[in-house]
Amino acid sequence: MTLLEVNDLSIRYAVDDGSSVHATDDVSFSVERGETYGLVGESGCGKTTLAKSLVHLLDDNGYVENGNVWFDGTLPQWSDEQGDATQSVIDDPDKPVRADGKTDLAALTNAQIRDIRWRDIAIIPQSAMNALNPVYKVGDQIVEAILRHEPETTADEAHERARDLLERVGIEPDRADDYAHQFSGGMKQRAVIAMAMACSPDLLIADEPTTALDVIIQDRILEELEKLQEEFGVSILVISHDISVMAEICDRMAVMYGGKVMESGPKDEIFGETANPYTLGLKNSFPTITSADQDLVSIPGTPPTLRDPDDGCRFRDRCPFAIEECHASHPPMYDVEAAESLGRSEEGTDERAHRSACYRIDELEQLRTDAIEESTWTEQRIESR
Amino acid sequence: MTRISGKYLAKRIVVSYLTLLVIMSLLFVLLRSMPGSFITSMISSGMTAEQIERIRETWGLNEPLWKQYVQFMINYQTGNFGRSPTYNAQVWDLIVRRMPRTLVLFGSTFIIGFIIGPLVGMYLGWWRGSTKDKSIFSTSLLLYSMPSFWISWLFIWVINYELDWLPSAYMFTQFPEFEWTAFTVMRDVLYHIALPVMSLTFIGWVGSMLIMRPTMNQVTDEGYVFLARAKGLSERTVMVKHAARNALIPVATGAVVSLAFLIDGSVIIENVFNWPGMGQIIVSAVLNRDFPVAQAVFFMLALLIVVMRLLTDVVYTYLDPRIKFGEGE
Repeated sequence: MTLLEVNDLSIRYAVDDGSSVHATDDVSFSVERGETYGLVGESGCGKTTLAKSLVHLLDDNGYVENGNVWFDGTLPQWSDEQGDATQSVIDDPDKPVRADGKTDLAALTNAQIRDIRWRDIAIIPQSAMNALNPVYKVGDQIVEAILRHEPETTADEAHERARDLLERVGIEPDRADDYAHQFSGGMKQRAVIAMAMACSPDLLIADEPTTALDVIIQDRILEELEKLQEEFGVSILVISHDISVMAEICDRMAVMYGGKVMESGPKDEIFGETANPYTLGLKNSFPTITSADQDLVSIPGTPPTLRDPDDGCRFRDRCPFAIEECHASHPPMYDVEAAESLGRSEEGTDERAHRSACYRIDELEQLRTDAIEESTWTEQRIESR
Repeated sequence: MTRISGKYLAKRIVVSYLTLLVIMSLLFVLLRSMPGSFITSMISSGMTAEQIERIRETWGLNEPLWKQYVQFMINYQTGNFGRSPTYNAQVWDLIVRRMPRTLVLFGSTFIIGFIIGPLVGMYLGWWRGSTKDKSIFSTSLLLYSMPSFWISWLFIWVINYELDWLPSAYMFTQFPEFEWTAFTVMRDVLYHIALPVMSLTFIGWVGSMLIMRPTMNQVTDEGYVFLARAKGLSERTVMVKHAARNALIPVATGAVVSLAFLIDGSVIIENVFNWPGMGQIIVSAVLNRDFPVAQAVFFMLALLIVVMRLLTDVVYTYLDPRIKFGEGE
């Protein structure tokens, strides 16, 4: 069962001079129920923007240019007792609910999306350490979320649940009466995770859940997320620049660059049969513990600015494999498996399959061999291309 | 639940007490370094040297200065503020009569200003950069740059003189034709206090707004404001409960400072509105070298500030749980 279907989502940031920043361009991906989906990429590639846009939490100048966010769930007032959209709502052409009961979150108003936030989609922000309000008790902040979406709950019940949630993430229930400054960094992170589970959401967005933490705590947080996923059956959308985090917890993932998805598919295939020059470069620049004397090779150059970008492939300026074609247009998402047997052919339509946006998808063996060589990635080589 | 330890409070009280001793000493020295003596007002040109000598003797002016100082310090700490030569009354009685009048006027100005200011600051900070923010902010700066006595004259001119809506002087109707009951007195005071309070708060709220607006704007970028939104709370709840609550902390500091300025202003404003409070007698006491009254009035104002400072500490611990006083001492 698909929980979330993002179709051709383009997000823009309006800039004072009238131009716009293309934070994401025609991004499509889908998240199944109970799965962990990863969005990986360098900072500034649009992954956080993408996640925030799902529940309309963009900064003031950000807006959705086009695309849909089909979510399996709907507003409380539009649903029956099972939580499915009622037939009358589906039939109503003014309501963004389609025949299978999925609601287009991108088409909801601000007042409507507030009912979706946290109840259906909870978000653990990038700065989770600063996400607790210093002047309220941690427990009360969890209670606030419960009472917002389940007003029929009594305050005592809500407090009991808050303590229970804290216990589940390994925090003494009595610490519910403490303030954020009395918590350690890891505890704050876990408290925010506990808060995120307060209304048993269907989707949990974890934006850089481990970035500010040391490795031991990182590992514990990741375990915590996996445990919660088993307990609550929640789908998790993880955002990280750290591909080792992705390797650990994702089922499927998408690699983003410059506001575009470059490669997506099951995690094992992306790591095992990498099919995009950008992913190859990204892999090179991360250490693996198994090969101790490995030289880290970074991708030269910096990500593009994305202000009114041209039509070419977003990665071409930094790509050692770029060819003439790459300057003309951004490549479509090719099906990797089909390309291996049939050569570069049709755009892959199955969002769940391993897909890659690269015109040289039919020369993968060559690309993979070359990408391991450090000399491939030197600045001169790319510039003299 | 308070996070102020008893030990810390005791220490603060001792320090406050010492502060007051220093202020008393300064008052003693400063007033006596003014030219003239405080019996000048009691001496008329026809008096003989003998008579003058007797007055000096009565008021203890023949004692050496250090003895006068010691006597002064002892008197003050035993609650003996002495007698006013110009008002021919116990200084304490004067204060008891006049202090509440000043507190009523400036207390209400203070409270109204600190309700309006932070509220306006909250909205402007939240919507910073909007047309509304820009226009209200620049208007308030214009108000802020006007002297309060000038604004008061404007109000008196328009509302009292031109429109004749409200009285511009005194606290009570001078020769009342109504019966004096608690209700009529209260109504009468409200009627008289309206104009001075209006003209003082007309600009008085700006100070706290100026503190609130930028801190409010800062907290809008905080992670907890984002999280509050992500929880699905309404914009209003996010603004008031999560953002404004945090932005209030610096406003508390501003409150004490502005109280000091308010009381400074009382000297002028009470004279403009002929308000029979402390500010009025400060002027006449200093002009007439009425040292007992001047000393006592300045001392009471200092006491007010010291007590307010102590109270701010308590308010702080309620506003911000991160602040603890007296831990580990």
